[in-house]
Amino acid sequence: MDMHRGPRRNIHPQKVALNNWQATVKRMWEYLETYRLKLIIVFLLTIVTTSVTIIGNRMNGVVVDKYIDKNRLHALIMVCLFLAIIYLISSIFTYFQNSMIIKVAQATSQKIRQDVFANLQRLPMKYFDTHDNGDVMSRLTNDVDNINTALMQTFVQLFTGIISVVGMGLAMLILSPILTLIAILSTVMTYLFSRGIAKLTQKAFATQQSSLGQLNTQIEETVSGKQLVQLFNHTDATLENFDRVNAQYTKSAFIAQSLSSVIGPFNNMTNNIAYLLITAIGAISIIGGYGKITVGVIFTFLIYLRNFTGPINNVLNLINTLQLSLASAQRVFELIDEGPEKDAPKAITLKKANGHVEFEHVSFAYDKRLILKDINLAANPGEVVALVGPTGAGKTTIMNLLTNLYPLEKGKVLIDGIDVTQIKRSDLRKLVTVVQQESFLFNMNILENIRLGKPNATDEEVYTAAIRANADKFIRQLPNGYLTELSENATQLSQGQRQLLSIARAFIAESPVLVLDEATASIDSQTEVDVQKAMTALMEKKTSFVIAHRLSTIQNANQILVINHGEIIERGNHQSLLEKGGFYAKLYNSQFD
Amino acid sequence: MFQMVMKHTHGKARWSFFLAPMIMLGEVFCDLQQPTLMSQIIDQGLAKGDLGFVIQHAVLMLMFAVLGLLFGRSCGALGSYASLKMGEALRSHLLKVSLNDRQPKTLMPATLITRITNDVTQMQNLVMMVTRGLVRSPMLLFGGIVMSIIICPDLAPILGIIMPILIVFLIIVVRRSIPKYTQMQQSVDTVNRVMRENLQGAKTIKAYFLEKHQLNQFTHQNQNLQQKSQTAALATVILSPVIQLMLNFGVIIAIGYGGSLAISNTISDGQIIAFVNYMIQITNAMIQTVNIITAFSRAITSSSRVQEVLDMEQNEELPEFVEAMPESSSLEFQNVTFGFADSKPILDQVNFSLKDGQWLGIIGETGSGKSSLINLLTRKYDEYQGTIKIGGIDIQKMSLKSVHQKIAVALQDSLLFSGNINYNLTYGNPAATEGDLDQASVVSRSSEFIDQLPNKFQTEVEQAGKNFSGGQRQRLNIARALVPKSDILVMDDATSAVDQETNSQIKEHLEKLRQNKTTIIISQRVTNVLDCDQIIVLENGRITASGNHQELLKQSKFYRELVTTQMGDVNFGHA
Repeated sequence: MDMHRGPRRNIHPQKVALNNWQATVKRMWEYLETYRLKLIIVFLLTIVTTSVTIIGNRMNGVVVDKYIDKNRLHALIMVCLFLAIIYLISSIFTYFQNSMIIKVAQATSQKIRQDVFANLQRLPMKYFDTHDNGDVMSRLTNDVDNINTALMQTFVQLFTGIISVVGMGLAMLILSPILTLIAILSTVMTYLFSRGIAKLTQKAFATQQSSLGQLNTQIEETVSGKQLVQLFNHTDATLENFDRVNAQYTKSAFIAQSLSSVIGPFNNMTNNIAYLLITAIGAISIIGGYGKITVGVIFTFLIYLRNFTGPINNVLNLINTLQLSLASAQRVFELIDEGPEKDAPKAITLKKANGHVEFEHVSFAYDKRLILKDINLAANPGEVVALVGPTGAGKTTIMNLLTNLYPLEKGKVLIDGIDVTQIKRSDLRKLVTVVQQESFLFNMNILENIRLGKPNATDEEVYTAAIRANADKFIRQLPNGYLTELSENATQLSQGQRQLLSIARAFIAESPVLVLDEATASIDSQTEVDVQKAMTALMEKKTSFVIAHRLSTIQNANQILVINHGEIIERGNHQSLLEKGGFYAKLYNSQFD
Repeated sequence: MFQMVMKHTHGKARWSFFLAPMIMLGEVFCDLQQPTLMSQIIDQGLAKGDLGFVIQHAVLMLMFAVLGLLFGRSCGALGSYASLKMGEALRSHLLKVSLNDRQPKTLMPATLITRITNDVTQMQNLVMMVTRGLVRSPMLLFGGIVMSIIICPDLAPILGIIMPILIVFLIIVVRRSIPKYTQMQQSVDTVNRVMRENLQGAKTIKAYFLEKHQLNQFTHQNQNLQQKSQTAALATVILSPVIQLMLNFGVIIAIGYGGSLAISNTISDGQIIAFVNYMIQITNAMIQTVNIITAFSRAITSSSRVQEVLDMEQNEELPEFVEAMPESSSLEFQNVTFGFADSKPILDQVNFSLKDGQWLGIIGETGSGKSSLINLLTRKYDEYQGTIKIGGIDIQKMSLKSVHQKIAVALQDSLLFSGNINYNLTYGNPAATEGDLDQASVVSRSSEFIDQLPNKFQTEVEQAGKNFSGGQRQRLNIARALVPKSDILVMDDATSAVDQETNSQIKEHLEKLRQNKTTIIISQRVTNVLDCDQIIVLENGRITASGNHQELLKQSKFYRELVTTQMGDVNFGHA
């Protein structure tokens, strides 16, 4: 079964190097642990159903030779009844076999998805920084799908295919070696021919693929840049250019398709030829009296032929698919094995804190590049500490260390004198609330989004938080008020409104330490007044760290730290820094130029 | 849908479209000959021991096999020609429609792109399928039935019993499974959404320690998905054993009943064998027909999605008179109101005029209607009330081309096209000289980084300009608007991503270049507009104040607030 999941990433999977496929198979087998008995039953059922097909087909021939030609009506009817019964049983078996395998496959892929997602929750921040979302998504969706298909179809088909080929092959060989040879030859011909064509078409398909890429790029660019195309009077030129690429694609696709469209009719022809050879040679040898061929044997062979060529080709394709599925499994397991973020061995439970924060000689490196050098700071409970400096100076990084998102190179970060790496992450992140420049809102209603700050909060508490965050007014103006469902990324709200919601979320969290990371940077000035007021209220009685690029917002801070190139280059309050006449003073005065 | 296909196939493509199915009939005919010929070999050649007859018929079978290949191959080639040509024409048409579309409420770019790419491919596959499968399978089915009746009328009632039962069964099962598959698809979408959110919101999740919460949510949805997919798959699992069983029963009846007839010498062995072979062919054809119908219904969705885009096509009625390009570059908005029926107006009674050669500043918060004002001026949309004039001429009486020649715009969204820098900068004027490019890049401060690139103006630009930073893209974007040297220049928040220092350098250069030339600056930063001859303050689609900086400081409370809040606005350059 194919789940259509929209754009697929690896539509044309390259042959993946399967290192250590035995280990992957073994692991898959472990996943199937609880279903092993069911799988064995499925295989037994498959053997029965396939044998029934082989025997049934042979019986047809026998009937012609032994009963019809010998005029044994009673026996004929008995045999037919017998056949009807075994076919009925076989169909019932097939039904159970398929239902069982569906259940096993669905349960297994559910379990795998669950494991991947669960591990995703435990991965350190660095993983998300360094991995493309698209790649992770593709592992979670396509690769799990591939495993699912392998379990549901490929496995059983491969097994049935092998049994049929071997069983029928043997039966055919016993019946007539010559006719068997014809059947095998036609199969080999079909296979070789499609292989040959495939090689020929490979190049044509590669050309087609690359011109398709160009075509899609053009479509994407033109449609997204529509306004530009119109504004710059470029419509005609764009269309002309597009027509050229479009025609190029059509041409290369035609070459590729018409080459490969030979395969179907050719297979059909080889089948027909095998068909006629069996009939003719069979007839000739009956007339000439060579061998033991009878009309019934011809009949059996004709039916076998239709059931033989298919499975052989299938088996070869299936082996290919199976390899791809194994590669998928490997990619999924990689994600499951990715090392999780772990609490220190004897992590401390810390539910409450006064909010005393200290950085002692903290250095931090990312990809061996030193980002922060010897940072020292101390903030008393209730103080406001402002961090200023150019973009990329390391302000946000300092704050990420406070919540232990990344490991330190040197030094210590302490809350109430306790090393943050020794505090349970769940506790630490409840002690420190971060309001980012763009906080993420989830696809659920506003009430639930705010409640994320404190999952056990009552509706009343949510309303209070929203009122204190200045968000209550606009929320109530929405058609569904607090129950308004937010779409993905909450596009129906303005930037400022989204920010008010994330402030409400911070209010409800009631943590002793607060970080405001450029929380007003991308907001228009009207809402900014609301946001500014909300943030001032939020900072009350909390140890607050404010990262800002507007100096007017931080003049009242207890401490101002000026950061540049990963170092604290100046510190003091507004007044003392101005008197000092350094970097800060220069910045402050430049606004009056 | 048929109309859509007809409209996009012409000449050879249309011939191929009709010819392919006819040739396919030939292939079907050849395929259907095989069992009959074979039964003749058995009944006549074998029975009489006539070797010549056997060989003669074998050669005939061979001939039909080869002929079948020829027919099949030609049909395939013609079919792919027709479908590819149709796809080509359709894509071209769709792109043209999307480019010419100027309606305010239109499809999102992402949606349009999917329709022009995926949906057209679906349609293409469909046409391919129509030319081959839609003829082949039903004809094999039909032909098989006819042939089996001809060769063995006594056994034909078997088909009369089995086929209707199978068809009714298939219809019931497929019908009942469709809603289940739809539910499964919804469940797939939900699970995907949760996963995507989890990746995009990783930082927020960590900050609030929402991991458990997210996992619970996912677990619930994941189980739901498992259940839905299982139900859907189980709904169709009955299909294959039942089809198998019916076919086998058919064969048994044919042998049993046929055998009894053969014993009484009413029919021959060959007839029975041929009949059974036809029956296998018929059943296979039937399964394929069902598959094709399912695929067909999927393609119908695509075709209606494509049709929606085609419906956007407006018959571009030519204005009755198109006046010559206005000499002057003055601007006038008279009582301009613009908006959508179901919400409050985006622009409400906008009135202002600007003399030729003056600079206009427009300031206001996001959503105040600044960009809409420019969209109307450049005729992105025509559905508004009131009059807009350039150089005294109503823009509705100018051709689109001359409006766009008169005005150059640097948009806030600085999209670059793949190609090289040169291609991008000459986008509005392919005839631009090297001097023009140099000047534009100096004014926009792009020269700073272009000069450092090894290939200078020949440097390749990747899709969406990914290989340049946001600030660099905006500078190239400004240069692109400068190259055509249009009479009127609009800067729509075009420096939002460049640093303060570069911003003021650009401003300085621009003031020199555009001295006494009509220029409109839209910005959220007061510093960018404060030197303009006239500044307009937009609030909620209305002009609440206009005048120069000094006048506005006195008149407008909003402007004063803006100036005071932005006094602290110091953007850190690289000090």
